[in-house]
Amino acid sequence: MRNFNRLIVNEWLKMSRKKSFLIPFLIVLVLPLLVGYVSHTFSTQTPEPGGAFMKDSLLPSGIGQIVTILAVIGTAGMVAKEYSLGTIKFLLIRARSRTVILGSKYMTALLYGFTLTLVTLISGFTAEMIWFADGIQSLDVQMILMSLLYGLVYTAVYVTFGFMMGILTTSTGATIGITMFVIMLDKIMIFRDFYKYMLFPNMNLSVYQDGGAPLPGMTLSFSSIVLSVYTLLFLLISFTVFRRRDVA
Amino acid sequence: MNQETTVQHHSAAVLQMKGVSKIIKGKAIVDKLSFEIRKGEIVGLLGPNGAGKTTTIRMMTGLIKMSEGDVIVNGYSMREHFNSAIAHIGAIIENPEFYPYMTGLENLRQYQRMTDQLEPGRIDEVVRLVGLQDAMNKKVKAYSLGMRQRLGIAQALLHRPKLLILDEPTNGLDPAGIREMREYMRTIAEVEGISILISSHMLAEIEQICHRAVVIQNGRLITVSELGTARRTDEHVILTLRVDSVEAAVVVAEQQEGVELMEAEPEIRQIRVKMMDSRVPDFVKALGARGVGLYRISEDKQSLEEEFLKWTGGNQIA
Ligand SMILES: Nc1ncnc2c1ncn2[C@@H]1O[C@H](COP(=O)(O)OP(=O)(O)OP(=O)(O)O)[C@@H](O)[C@H]1O
Ligand SMILES: [Mg+2]
Repeated sequence: MRNFNRLIVNEWLKMSRKKSFLIPFLIVLVLPLLVGYVSHTFSTQTPEPGGAFMKDSLLPSGIGQIVTILAVIGTAGMVAKEYSLGTIKFLLIRARSRTVILGSKYMTALLYGFTLTLVTLISGFTAEMIWFADGIQSLDVQMILMSLLYGLVYTAVYVTFGFMMGILTTSTGATIGITMFVIMLDKIMIFRDFYKYMLFPNMNLSVYQDGGAPLPGMTLSFSSIVLSVYTLLFLLISFTVFRRRDVA
Repeated sequence: MNQETTVQHHSAAVLQMKGVSKIIKGKAIVDKLSFEIRKGEIVGLLGPNGAGKTTTIRMMTGLIKMSEGDVIVNGYSMREHFNSAIAHIGAIIENPEFYPYMTGLENLRQYQRMTDQLEPGRIDEVVRLVGLQDAMNKKVKAYSLGMRQRLGIAQALLHRPKLLILDEPTNGLDPAGIREMREYMRTIAEVEGISILISSHMLAEIEQICHRAVVIQNGRLITVSELGTARRTDEHVILTLRVDSVEAAVVVAEQQEGVELMEAEPEIRQIRVKMMDSRVPDFVKALGARGVGLYRISEDKQSLEEEFLKWTGGNQIA
């Protein structure tokens, strides 16, 4: 376990030693405050005081999607960059299996996404308290926590998808391009029965909050299962390919 | 071949290649290669461009899968116990590539965190060995190729391997850099007491530093040649002598027991003779006794270069 933690430290340093590391954190710090300020000052319809603003800043339908996009961009190079820099050679000739090395990278990718979400949460909370809430007691804590969970799930699934693409393409640019394209696509709804088994209509779990469903026959547990199956599939492909591939 | 350290012929092998092949699209890039590297030995992996040196080294380090055969490192099979096997190897494969936005020290720390035992002073030790003390806090993107090579060696030595594998370590270095590299390798073999495998397509390089050369071509083993060993006295030597009188020298050579006259060239006052190594002193004495003036005596060594060209059939590139 100590050994595994040290690998995570390594991966985190590889990201954090880059000059651009702080930019996404600044974005998710400033964005909820900016949006909060603008909608408080200029909008006629202000969000309800119970924590609706915080909820919007976490969900994929709101600022949450930007968090996901930033998380994908930040983690797209985790595997691909090792190939393009050539550092993959020194990385793999250590007394650590490829499974463990990739595992530490995946954990760090999730950690990165969660850290971005945490900063968003703090910033969204601050905006909420300054402009919208009637005191901290008025917040609907359960709703906020559920939104946090849905936001994290959305981010985690796309980070996993991007992680797989990074391994398959070994190109940071292609990984970002493909994953962004897919994130854009997930807004499209095809009203056919087969479509409920696709990834996209299941991505945003918050749609079930007010009793609705994207397509007939879909429920929260149905979507949870579909998401789990896809995530496991992405991981299976990632680890299988990474373990087997010749490093030339 | 001024190698002070003698090879211990019967010591255990640090690495054994056992019929290792790499087959890509039906073509054997490396073909049933078997050889071994003994403890404390410096071995050259020699072959023309495209011979399969890098491919061989990639298999030794687990970067690519073997199609058949196995590599045994310090008793551990690369296939069955990768972690235990690779723990005894330090390597640079082709160019040494680091994270350019990190300092030399930060890069080394990356690899230190991947070792089982963290030895606090070890980084300083290897950095001093390669003489990079002053560059440790510089970003690697500001390093010259020579500096990156040295950092590469530091990286490879960090976990105290028993075998150091260097793929074309002098590639792209200037003559001073090449000499420096050679000195490091000697120092490392001595200070750290480890075996070294150096791949190269340059004979001179291998000849100067290695105890043995493993010659490959088209992925196949051509020969293994001992280089740095002391000459045995029961071997024949061929000598070229420059004398004041060829006729007198020829007479001596013909009369002297065990000496075979190969060639006499009166125009340039030289003779070539072949004899057992142990008979050379007597022959020289006999020349002196007959009053033959001796200007030069030199050994006609068939250099590795000639042998190499013979083995590999000229300089054709596979
Ligand atoms: N992935 C691959 N697919 C197909 N052929 C390959 C592959 N990798 C290497 N080869 C071929 O295998 C042969 C050996 O390549 P290798 O790089 O091992 O040679 P080398 O001895 O290191 O040569 P050099 O001195 O030029 O570095 C070459 O002909 C090369 O084209
Ligand atoms: Mg090569």
